[in-house]
Amino acid sequence: MKYQILVAAAVGVLTGAGIALAADTTVHQKGKAFSQKEITLKKGDSLTFANDDTITHNALSRSAGNEFNIGAQAPGASTPVKFDTAGTVDVICAIHPQMRMKVTVE
Amino acid sequence: VLSKASFYVAVAIVLLATTESHAGASVGPAQQVSVQPKAEASLDELKKLYQRPVTLNFPADNPYTPEKAALGKNLFFDSRLSGANLLSCSSCHNPAYSWSDGQPKGIGHGMNVLGRRSPSIIDAGYGAIFMWDGRAGSLEEQALGPIQASVEMNLPLETLIGRLKESKEYPALFDKAFPGEGIKPETIGKAIATYERLVVSSPAPFDHWIKGDERAISESAKRGFVLFNGKGRCNECHSEWRFTDDSFHDIGLPDGDIGRGKFLPDVIKAQHAFKTPGLRDIARRSAYMHDGSVRTLKAVVDHYNDGGVDRPSRADAVHPLGLSGQEKDDLVAFMETLSGSNSPTVVPQLPR
Repeated sequence: MKYQILVAAAVGVLTGAGIALAADTTVHQKGKAFSQKEITLKKGDSLTFANDDTITHNALSRSAGNEFNIGAQAPGASTPVKFDTAGTVDVICAIHPQMRMKVTVE
Repeated sequence: VLSKASFYVAVAIVLLATTESHAGASVGPAQQVSVQPKAEASLDELKKLYQRPVTLNFPADNPYTPEKAALGKNLFFDSRLSGANLLSCSSCHNPAYSWSDGQPKGIGHGMNVLGRRSPSIIDAGYGAIFMWDGRAGSLEEQALGPIQASVEMNLPLETLIGRLKESKEYPALFDKAFPGEGIKPETIGKAIATYERLVVSSPAPFDHWIKGDERAISESAKRGFVLFNGKGRCNECHSEWRFTDDSFHDIGLPDGDIGRGKFLPDVIKAQHAFKTPGLRDIARRSAYMHDGSVRTLKAVVDHYNDGGVDRPSRADAVHPLGLSGQEKDDLVAFMETLSGSNSPTVVPQLPR
């Protein structure tokens, strides 16, 4: 039991430290546009995609090493994406492809 | 009870998970808050959203020249751009039909009936992405697609280039338009795209109304404009002056064509989704929808009022609307104000 508590504490401290060390930046989706066109992150950082529109969005990237697909994101939803590979990530909205931004992971 | 050894293993796993993680990008759990509906815009604010641009739209990598536009017009109307020497771009994008063809579905090589309706090219020069499923990223790229497609114009580009080089007049026209570049797919695409960027809808009664002429459209059409931007939610996709967001939506039609979904199989909202068509000259452009399955604007409004097929891919804005008969008539009256008085298009005397 004592060790279970210790493990739980270790998990809490370590993951907590992970969150604290990695920056968490938010990019907003409003008026069918991303709030930033370009953003630079460090490996292991998260970028939160917030849908502030009244319509569904779907942020997605096919950039090698950093592929992700948030899926249909309802108005009001915020979804973090953690980037663990250095490189350039081209992000679009799969529904509104004129919504584009670039994430540089260092 | 964990042993001391398993404690260290657990810590090691946590360390690995937090420091190395897996390479790539990972999507975390979503948080949800409620979004306040947009404050209703005033009529004046709405009108401002639909003002026409004052300039034509040419990209930096293919700027306008009269020589390119003239060459592009010749190519656009020239049936030598098809394998059987029978079809030109203008066969399906005919100015007499507001740059579409008046058919429910396009008709290609060997009278082959295509899977989708021929979209009008009117105002395409302002577009961001092309074809019903968005498979072309520029007008230059789009122009070369149907020429080569076996079911459409059925002509390999090398055969086309041979034909143009054999012509008495085309080589000189290419030299004027693209000095030193010659006849090649890039110059053919650029010339056709340059001509297409001149195909712009004429100002319509709606444009006169938003500029201040209250007598330009009927009271029914004015009510229709408010419905279009309100209860009907039409403007969520048919936005801005061309009445399109250049985006992809499933409007609940029952045909089996998955459209944009072919390129984005993992995107739910891309299934059965097609690019929002603009609405300029729309009253002159039946049949409607990507599959040409709807013959009248009244029937279009009926479709949206019913909401179509309810499925996960269907756009959020498409759902039963509960419109009254008068409201439906008002929406149709509004759409009928979007047709301008287009001047006749002069067909060129083709180079031989």
